Amino acid sequence: MVKDLYKRYGDKAVLRGVSFEVEKGKVKVIMGPSGTGKTTLLKCIDMLVKPDSGKIWLEDLELTDPRIDVSEARRKIGFVFQEFNLFHHLTAIKNVMIGLTKVKKLPRGEARAIAERSLLKVHIDRELWDKYPAQLSGGQKQRVAIARALAMEPMIMLYDEPTSALDPQLTREVLEVIKELAEDGMTSLIVTHEVGFASEVADEIMIMIDGRIVERGDPRSIIYDPRREETRKFFNKIMKIGDELR
Amino acid sequence: MSFWNEFFSKLYIGVLTTLQLLAVAIPSSIILGIFIGVLRVYGGKIEKTLANLYVHIFRGFPLLVTLMIMFFGLADIGIRLTPYWAAALAIIVCSSAYQSEYVRMSILSIDEGQSLAARSLGMKRSVEILYIILPQAFRIAFPGIGNEIIYMILYSSLAYIVGVNEIFSVAISVNSIWFKPTEVFLTTALIYLAMTTMASYGLKKLERKLWIPGFETDVKR
Ligand SMILES: Nc1ncnc2c1ncn2[C@@H]1O[C@H](COP(=O)(O)OP(=O)(O)OP(=O)(O)O)[C@@H](O)[C@H]1O
Ligand SMILES: [Mg+2]
Repeated sequence: MVKDLYKRYGDKAVLRGVSFEVEKGKVKVIMGPSGTGKTTLLKCIDMLVKPDSGKIWLEDLELTDPRIDVSEARRKIGFVFQEFNLFHHLTAIKNVMIGLTKVKKLPRGEARAIAERSLLKVHIDRELWDKYPAQLSGGQKQRVAIARALAMEPMIMLYDEPTSALDPQLTREVLEVIKELAEDGMTSLIVTHEVGFASEVADEIMIMIDGRIVERGDPRSIIYDPRREETRKFFNKIMKIGDELR
Repeated sequence: MSFWNEFFSKLYIGVLTTLQLLAVAIPSSIILGIFIGVLRVYGGKIEKTLANLYVHIFRGFPLLVTLMIMFFGLADIGIRLTPYWAAALAIIVCSSAYQSEYVRMSILSIDEGQSLAARSLGMKRSVEILYIILPQAFRIAFPGIGNEIIYMILYSSLAYIVGVNEIFSVAISVNSIWFKPTEVFLTTALIYLAMTTMASYGLKKLERKLWIPGFETDVKR
């Protein structure tokens, strides 16, 4: 749960009072134009960036409490990056194992078993396990990154435009995985520009413009019947880009 | 005893001494270089300042002068080092200063996403540095560190100045008895060449062993 979050970089106010809640087992999607602070918001939630003010709770743990151990808290939040950020020097399976062995301090055998299960869940087959990131396609990289976050058994998964670095074909395989996880009950907060995917997977869509959530609601009403002019404009714009690509 | 007999039996001792010097200086300077490089990037204000000062000083002194300071200067303030340890120490501080620069630059060239991903998994800074940053930084810095190793082999010859009985000092003393500079120094040069050739070969092999598919292009993006 996020309450009244503010963040500025220099004299630029990026987040200007953001509040919402992702209930257990629910999927919330954030959409909005470029540069409105979506990435910043997700980074604040994972405490990768310190918010200026406001509070964040993970169930009853207050993440913004300066006395808590942030790295301890971060392992309970899965983060999937736009640029994948797989560890370049580790094979697919070692990417998934390293959090388990070095953070959770599990023995290698146990870590490997969990990693294998995680990779299978995102449809990464055995023959790819010992490949290095550079030997994987974008879609495979992103699915390994999802498995890496998943293996830590997070309470929530944050996805930051997980497919915007991928072409349409690879986008589909990644979105499919995210959807399966969501249907399995994984609490998720997803930033995406994929309207079709958002309408299928989201319990609620939030529209973020200039550091504020300007409108929220169930996918159908937000996409097809937005109340605010700026939301309508935003959807017109991304639909048009979509048409041009097709 | 003939010239060649005497030269080679003395050279044998000289080669051993040089190798002993390098066996200490090379690994120590690499470890110290990595440590100082890490401090220069991740240290607090004080650590950073001290580490930068260290590099500034020992890259600014000629090795020959550092060598004199380690042997004579330290003796003046009561720290008496044997010629061997004075030379080892001088080479270590000088080379580690250079190596820390390679390490620092490689750390800085690693994209920020690596650190974000490490932290998002809940890694503490020390774990991140040890298991995510350094294995990548070391590979990027490897050619530079390899160069430093070659330099150390060559510059170990300066140790003759404080009386270490290594290859070059053997050459000088044999030449002063027999006065055959061509034979003496050409042979000496060939021995250094043989050592650097073997080192280059070993470094190449190691580099190939550490190689990871697509690594360079991915990291230096
Ligand atoms: N580390 C930083 N230092 C200074 N300004 C930053 C920093 N990170 C982001 N910004 C600025 O904050 C604003 C919001 O950035 P953010 O990345 O959160 O937007 P976004 O909604 O994720 O955009 P996109 O859709 O392009 O990913 C931008 O104007 C950006 O230039
Ligand atoms: Mg973004």
